[in-house]
Formats: sequence, structure tokens, C-alpha cells
Amino acid sequence: MQKTTKFWVGVGAFLVASTAGETLVTDPMAVLSNPIPAALAAGGEGGETGGEGGGRPASYKLNSTDANAFAFDASAQVTGYVAHVFESYTAAHRGAKRLQAAIDRFLKSPNATTLADARNAWTSARVFYLKTEAFRFYDGPIDLKTPTGSEEGPEGHINAWPLNEAFIDGVKGNPKSGLINDRKVPVTRAAILERDQVSDEADVTTGWHAIEFLLWGQDFSATGPGNRPASDYTPGQGNNDRRRAYLKIVTDMLVDDLGALAKAWDPAGKDNYAAYFKALDQREALGRIFAGVASLSGYELMSERLAVALDSGDQEDEHSCFSDTTWQDFLFDIRGIREVYSGGAATPAGASLQALVAQRAPEVNNAVLAALAAVEADAEALPRPFDQEVLRASKDSEGRKTAEKLVKDLTTLASALADAGAAVGVLVVVPTAHKAE
Amino acid sequence: MSFRCWEPVGPAVILMGALLAALPLQAQDAPLGPDLAGTTGRKIVTQMAFTLPLAGLDAERQREFFFGNRLFNTNWVAAPSSTEKFDGLGPTFNRVSCDACHLRDGRGQVPDSAGEPLQSALVRISVWDVATKTAIPHPAYGDQLNDRAISGVKAEARVRVSWAEVPGKFGDGSAYSLRKPTIQIDQPAYGPLGKDLLTSLRVAPAVIGLGLLEAVPEADILALAEKQAKDGIVSGRPNRLDGGKLGRFGWKANQPDLRTQNAGAANGDIGITTSLFPKQNCPPAQKACLAAPNGGEPEMSDAYLDKLTTYTQTLAVPRRREWETPELTRGEALFTGFGCAACHVSTLKTGDHKIPELRNQTIHPLTDLLLHDMGPGLADGRPDHEAGPSEWRTPPLWGLGMIPQANQHEHLLHDGRARGPAEAILWHGGEAETAKEAFRTAPAADRAALVAFLRSL
Repeated sequence: MQKTTKFWVGVGAFLVASTAGETLVTDPMAVLSNPIPAALAAGGEGGETGGEGGGRPASYKLNSTDANAFAFDASAQVTGYVAHVFESYTAAHRGAKRLQAAIDRFLKSPNATTLADARNAWTSARVFYLKTEAFRFYDGPIDLKTPTGSEEGPEGHINAWPLNEAFIDGVKGNPKSGLINDRKVPVTRAAILERDQVSDEADVTTGWHAIEFLLWGQDFSATGPGNRPASDYTPGQGNNDRRRAYLKIVTDMLVDDLGALAKAWDPAGKDNYAAYFKALDQREALGRIFAGVASLSGYELMSERLAVALDSGDQEDEHSCFSDTTWQDFLFDIRGIREVYSGGAATPAGASLQALVAQRAPEVNNAVLAALAAVEADAEALPRPFDQEVLRASKDSEGRKTAEKLVKDLTTLASALADAGAAVGVLVVVPTAHKAE
Repeated sequence: MSFRCWEPVGPAVILMGALLAALPLQAQDAPLGPDLAGTTGRKIVTQMAFTLPLAGLDAERQREFFFGNRLFNTNWVAAPSSTEKFDGLGPTFNRVSCDACHLRDGRGQVPDSAGEPLQSALVRISVWDVATKTAIPHPAYGDQLNDRAISGVKAEARVRVSWAEVPGKFGDGSAYSLRKPTIQIDQPAYGPLGKDLLTSLRVAPAVIGLGLLEAVPEADILALAEKQAKDGIVSGRPNRLDGGKLGRFGWKANQPDLRTQNAGAANGDIGITTSLFPKQNCPPAQKACLAAPNGGEPEMSDAYLDKLTTYTQTLAVPRRREWETPELTRGEALFTGFGCAACHVSTLKTGDHKIPELRNQTIHPLTDLLLHDMGPGLADGRPDHEAGPSEWRTPPLWGLGMIPQANQHEHLLHDGRARGPAEAILWHGGEAETAKEAFRTAPAADRAALVAFLRSL
């Protein structure tokens, strides 16, 4: 009797607190189809090594015995996605440049007004960045320097949290802590980068949350965010000049990182990630797109940023705890997912994933749209500030109930996105699988 | 230490020939198929292969799983700190989080070079007590060397591992080389360790599928021991712990259940106290350790320990990617034919467990959870409860093929000495001598098929 060989390959890329400096996965197929180790080949010598080398992943493609199962053209979706990602990173880069200008003005004359302007610039610039988080979790340029290399991309330098603020600057009870007060350490880009997340993941020295802490300070307020005085930046006093230099350097780094990401996604680029992405097999590209949004919804937002925080009640688990802008982190991450699915400003008409899924599996598309509407409504309804109204609120408070509903709806959205992936022939693995696979 | 090569005696080789000649091309058991973990396995082939919760886990327990994941990845800090719930590190410790050793819930390794400190491995120690004829913890260092410490406290010692190549030959005359570790302990901070110190180098095992193993009824494990005694091929024994409990987890089966295992690891490896192990891991001689501030009594609450336990009970085993190629079918038949399946038994059934998803599953972890004498080549010489100096618990083999994806290495056995499945087999001795010899003397294509089968798990 002739037996057929059954196998599947699939990729679910979501990250669990990826450790700085960790090498990334080797190509599973290279390992699975490893030639016979030298030690086992007749006459061979020496031992085996585990599959070393770079490259990732196997394949997002679902196999089917029906040759026509996935006979559709998604080239418009792929190029539409590239245009959208480029436009989104360009907007995030512009926002960061406005923040940079506001911080320059603040450092030039540190007072309550210029500090308030810098804080507002941070909050509005962050919105544009949040929408780009939907492009994580599939080893794009944000997560990996080159598509086949093992060097990490800038994500850890841009948005790492939770942040042990005492590693950067003085804190309540320890006013002399941190790099800013350690005069043995030069305040240079190299010195700051060199010390980022070395012995502890929370020893974050760069990125949005470092800037946030430098602008707001620790949050001890029951009603609002942190309130660091502008006098911390008066030139010539104490370690203020070191603090001024530090803020300037990490802001400039953020601008540079976002500029590089926009460049990597420039559809006109010849030798960049956008070119690589457009050259992928269509379904491999679709697989990446779905992996990004499903992982953001069903893992990063649902668990890491929400359920865990609800269960610990610890401010340490609150995403933007100094500025009390955590609610907007949820809302604009979710809008970022919506734009990937339904199209953003730069997506040509008819080139969205929604258009493709609606054509192939209308019920699945309806389920995704319903789930998106639900999570967006939940996020808009989250009471603010998050730390007081949700984290420290009692189990039966409105804040808790809304947040719990958001947890449930984010899980539903991830499942719906996984179903939408299946409808276009790609495997989307999200951690939450309520039934046997 | 010199390595002694164990040459098989004549009759064994002849017997082996007969055994191989009679080897059926099909294993007697039904082929394993893709689902090693019943209905709970997950489809995943990336670096995150060991990180997912079981398929079918209900929402409430999934929530506990994710919080457990947070705890597993938490870097504990020295007390006092602003993160009250996560302080109390040390005073002496091996690493600051569970994940540091069990990276991405996977397997640790020992550095290849003698210049590097251990990152995901540790050294267990004991001394021989003449009066009671048992191995007891070292009076000044306890039963494990902590090679790191919080500021103001000295680490117990510095540990380095060097490797020596051990040559050998396959039956067809082709050469192979194994490597054997030597542990070097220096800079002891609390007095001499003594010359009679018993040591055992251990890597962190992957933490997948453990809840299913916890749910295998004790009676079934004991029945396997009885069956083995009757068949007379191998002779697995249960490890009995204090109070007569059956040991199930750990390289020598010295932990009865996952809650105890987790609390023990929190205390011994990270220095975190729990209600199960409320005392800081500070032997009496270590004054600075005893005087260091703690992070609460206990440092990890029962609620957190419960969630961490749920997490370690519900990490899923990846489904097999490929299982029906001619080579894999052949490899599976050889696995049985060579005698590997005598200890790495093909099928277990789970019984009752407080987590419903773990109940009544038919699973293929390829272990009998019993202790076996593995011979002098693998012996660490360090007894543990009823486990003797050369006895080890059969480790489960599920997920073996995904270690390279999850952890970028393929170092196997209790101390990571084997560079891949073939070397791991070649280290087997004692009760596994016959099976090892069957592999060593098999044709190259058969050896490759067996390794391919192991890598498909």
C-alpha cells in the first residue's frame, strides 16, 4: 500500500520577553533536513553540532491536497501593505522629529511651559509609533536587522519596558542612583547603548519610556501622572548637565531609529526590506502580515500589557506608567491592527486584507470586523488614569470590568485573525488555542 | 579522570546479531504519529516551539498560564526595592530568573570553553556521611553551588567546566569522538570544600509536557517497574523520597510534584523563599548570607507559586512535523528493535489531575519515569535519595527535535555532554549497554534512520 507523507510546516512568531543579545532562531528546515552528521556517515569523524547559522523561518504556507485551494492573486495586498508600513513609519519619524524640536526648545529654556510642550509632543508623537507596532512579531526590520541574519533590530532600543528607572536617574529614596548621577560614566551615545539591558532586562537606558521618565519623573500621584520639575534641567547645577545631555542623546537616537525603519520600508528602495518583502512568495508575505497583527492582539496586548497587569496590580506592569498614557497605548495599537486589516491612508482602494478575506470567506471577514469594533470600543471606554482606575481598582469596579472585557475581546480578535489567515492559506499561531489543533 | 572504554563481551555481540536479523521492519506498537501529547500538542516550529500553552486550555487557566509566564520571566531583584512583589533575590543564587536557565522554556547547556561561567547549568554537591552511609548536604555549602550573589555577599565558588575528547569506533570501523566534562571549582568563599566532595553537573531541562507526566498514575509507573523485573531486560526502580513519596521530576527523580519542584528551584537556584521552603538558602557558616535583608516572608506568595505551577503544568509539547517517511518509519522500528523502548516506553496514559485538560490523555513522552543504572560512563557518583551513583531517571524524548530551534544547540544528557542524539546514545551503558551496542554496530543507514526518528520528535 502506498502511503503519502504528511507533514506541515508553520510559523507562529510571537515574542516572550526576548532577551537582549539573544541569537535568533535557526532555519527549522535546515535543521529538520540536516544531512547525516559527520560522526554517523561512514568513515566520518568528529561530532555533530546543532543547526547553527542564521535565517528564519520555515513557512507560513498551509498545504492543501487541492491544487486550486489557494489560487488567488494577493499582489495588491502585498504592495498595499508595504505602502502602508512605509507611510506609518514615515509618520512616526515625523512625530519623533517634532518631539526632538520640542525637547531642544525645552533644553534651551527649561521652564514649566516648555516642559509641558515637550510632554505634549511626546504624547502625540507616540500615537504614530503605536500604530506601527502591528508590524512586529515576524522578524521584519523592527525585530531583526536583516531578514536572514540574527542581529536584533531596534525594537528593544525603541520601546523596551518595564523600565527600572533607578538605572537611569535618581529616584525617591535614592536620589543619587542611575547613570546620570554616576560621573564615572561618560554621557555619550556609545556609553548609553553599551549599558542597555545588559544584566537585567529592566535596565533599559533608551527609547520612548526612558524619555518619558526623563520628562515626567516617577508617578506618585493618585490623580495624575509624574511631575518632575523643570528645574531638573537648569544648566550648571548638580548633575543637570549630564541629565540634559542624556535626554538629548536618547531623543536623537529615537529619531534616527525611526528614520532607518522608514528607509527600510521605502517602496522605491532597491536593496531594502521592502524590496525583499515584495519578492517573497505571496503567501509567505501574507503570513508575516497576519502573524504581526494576531500576535500583537492575542499575546502582547492581551497578556503582556493587560492581563498580567490586572493580575499583579503592580505599576511595574503598566506600560506607560510615568505619563499615565497607558490607555492610548491600547487604543492606537488596536487602530494599528485595524489599519493593517482594513487599510490605512496609503493603502490603495481594494488592496486591503479585508477586501481579500471578504471575497474568500465573508463570514470570517465579518467576525474580524466585529472583533475589531469590540476591542476598539473597549479601549475607548477604559477609565483613566489606568493605574488608579484599573490597576488599583477593586475587582468589581467599572475599570476592571472594562479591562476584563478587553482581555476577552482581544483573544477573540486574535482567533478571528487566525481564521482569516487560514482563509488565505496561511498558518497563524497565537498562543491562545482553545481547541485541539 | 581517565575514561574506560566498555568493550562488549563476545556473546553479547553474537546475541545482538541474532536480534538484528530477527528485527521486523515494522514496530510492534502502532506508529506514534504526530500527536505525542494527546489532544494538547501545538503546531509550531520556531524559536518559540516550547513556549505555548496546551491546545484546549480553558480561558481561566490560560490567564494563570500567562501570569505564570510573567513570573517565569521575572528577573528577581535584591531586597529592598521598589518592586516589592518581585524582590528577595539570593543572597546567593545561580541566575535571577527561571527563564535565564530554561531559556524560552527550553534546554540549557554548558559552555564549550573552560573560560566561561555557567549560564544555564549548575553543580549539585554533597558529602558522604560515614555514620548514616548516605550522601548529605555539605555543612558549609549546602547541596548546590551558587556561583553568583547579591552585592555585599560572596558567591559560594567559581565553577568552570573543561572538556576532553573520548574517541570510539562504530561497528563498521568508522571513528567517532565523544566529549567528557571535568568540573573545576575554585575560589570557595566559605572554607574548604574537602577532597571527598561529590559533584554532579546538571543542565536545565526543557519544561514542556510536565503536567501530563504529573498526571500519570503512580500505580502505572510501579506496574512498569514490575513488568521490567519480570521481563528481565531492564530493571527500572522508583525513587522513594521522604515520607515514601514517589520521585517523578529532576534528573534523578528527586521531586514528587511540580509545585515542590518549582518551590525547590526558586529557593535553590534563585534564592526565593516560599511557604514550602521558608528558610533562606544560607548554610550556618555563611554569616553575610544570613544577615542579608529578605524580600518578605515568604518572598513569593502562595498565589504566585500556584500560578507558576499551573504554568509549568500546562506548557505544550510541539506536534511532530513529519512522521511517515520511509526513513522515519524505519527509525521508529529500530528504536523498538534495538531495545530503546524498554525504558523509553512508547505509551502512557494519564489519570486524574486537578487540571481537567491533562486528564485521560494517551501520551508518548518516551519515558517510564523510573531510575535505571546507566553504567560508569554516565555515572556522577552522587546518590540522591534512593537513586544510586550511576542511576538516572529515563528522560522524556518528546520535543527533542525542536531543541535546535528553541535554543540554538543540540546538547543532550544531564550535563549537556552529547552533541546530538547519536552521541547521547553512545554514552548509554549499564542497563542500556545492549541497546547502545545494537546502535553502535548497526549499518550507517540504520544509525541515520534512528537519529532522524529522534529528531522528528
